[in-house]
Amino acid sequence: MKKFKLWLLILLAAGLLGGTYVWFFVYNKPHRNIETASPDYILTAESFYTHYSNKSTPEGENYDGAVLQISGIPTSIETVDSLRIVVFAFTEGVFGDEGIRCTLLPSHHQYLKSIVPGRPVTLKGLCSGYNGTDVILEQCSIINE
Amino acid sequence: MKKLILLFIILTTASQFTMAQRYLTKNGHIKFYSDGSLEKIEAHNNQVNAALDTKTGGFVFKVLMKSFVFEKALMQEHFNENYVESDKFPNATFAGKVTNLQDINFDKPGSYEATVAGKLTIHGVTKDITAQGSFDVKEDHVQGKSVFMIKLADYDISIPGAVTGKIAEEIEITVDTKLESLK
Repeated sequence: MKKFKLWLLILLAAGLLGGTYVWFFVYNKPHRNIETASPDYILTAESFYTHYSNKSTPEGENYDGAVLQISGIPTSIETVDSLRIVVFAFTEGVFGDEGIRCTLLPSHHQYLKSIVPGRPVTLKGLCSGYNGTDVILEQCSIINE
Repeated sequence: MKKLILLFIILTTASQFTMAQRYLTKNGHIKFYSDGSLEKIEAHNNQVNAALDTKTGGFVFKVLMKSFVFEKALMQEHFNENYVESDKFPNATFAGKVTNLQDINFDKPGSYEATVAGKLTIHGVTKDITAQGSFDVKEDHVQGKSVFMIKLADYDISIPGAVTGKIAEEIEITVDTKLESLK
């Protein structure tokens, strides 16, 4: 009986530990921290946009859902409500400029004044994909100022 | 997107309008809300492309599915990988028209009730929908808002039995777009 109770206790403890692990690290696992994540790909803004617009992503590479570090010369900075977007425009379409739109993390809004359209900058962010006109990078951080 | 642009051009009849009659945004907001019996879930997307032609009433929007942000990372993962399969169907689109254009004066600031009808495509499935909303006309922009319901099953989005009750069969979609004049 004593042995049975011991095994039961061990099983209960294991179940509790397992349940706690699943609760904190699976069900409630935190979102990936893009700001501290290492980039999956490093490339120039122009080549990044070209891959999408020409559907010419190198074999074995998939930028959707990946962390990208891009370098290039931004053409404008937009403010849309609480959003700050750094734009690398490469072409023009029916709906205006087309290129890469990088939405900054709120914590990086304070560094925005260091980005000047026409001067090189390096950003890192999560690629959400291509919507037919623009490639979207979100949760972007400024790597160099 | 190129097909959507072509459809927008057809809907807006290029010869009849000037550039000033087009309004657009690349950062509109869409929220979806699931009121399940066991859990309430909502997700937000701030990367909505939307365009409106005030002369013809043509209205289109396009949404990158991977841009929907959930509070729980696991739910976001399941949403993309299992429910909407965003790798296969990266965008949702709507192409339609304001059907009561005669009731809306885009030259006079004010709030106007609107009915929009068109085709909504999610998960590769296209359905005709009609939604009620409003256009709040300001001096320098038009705020378009609408709330409507969709059934997940209508778009071939199946919810596993293990999470039934956590996700509602009908989802509330809220569209909120600040459309600025295309210069």
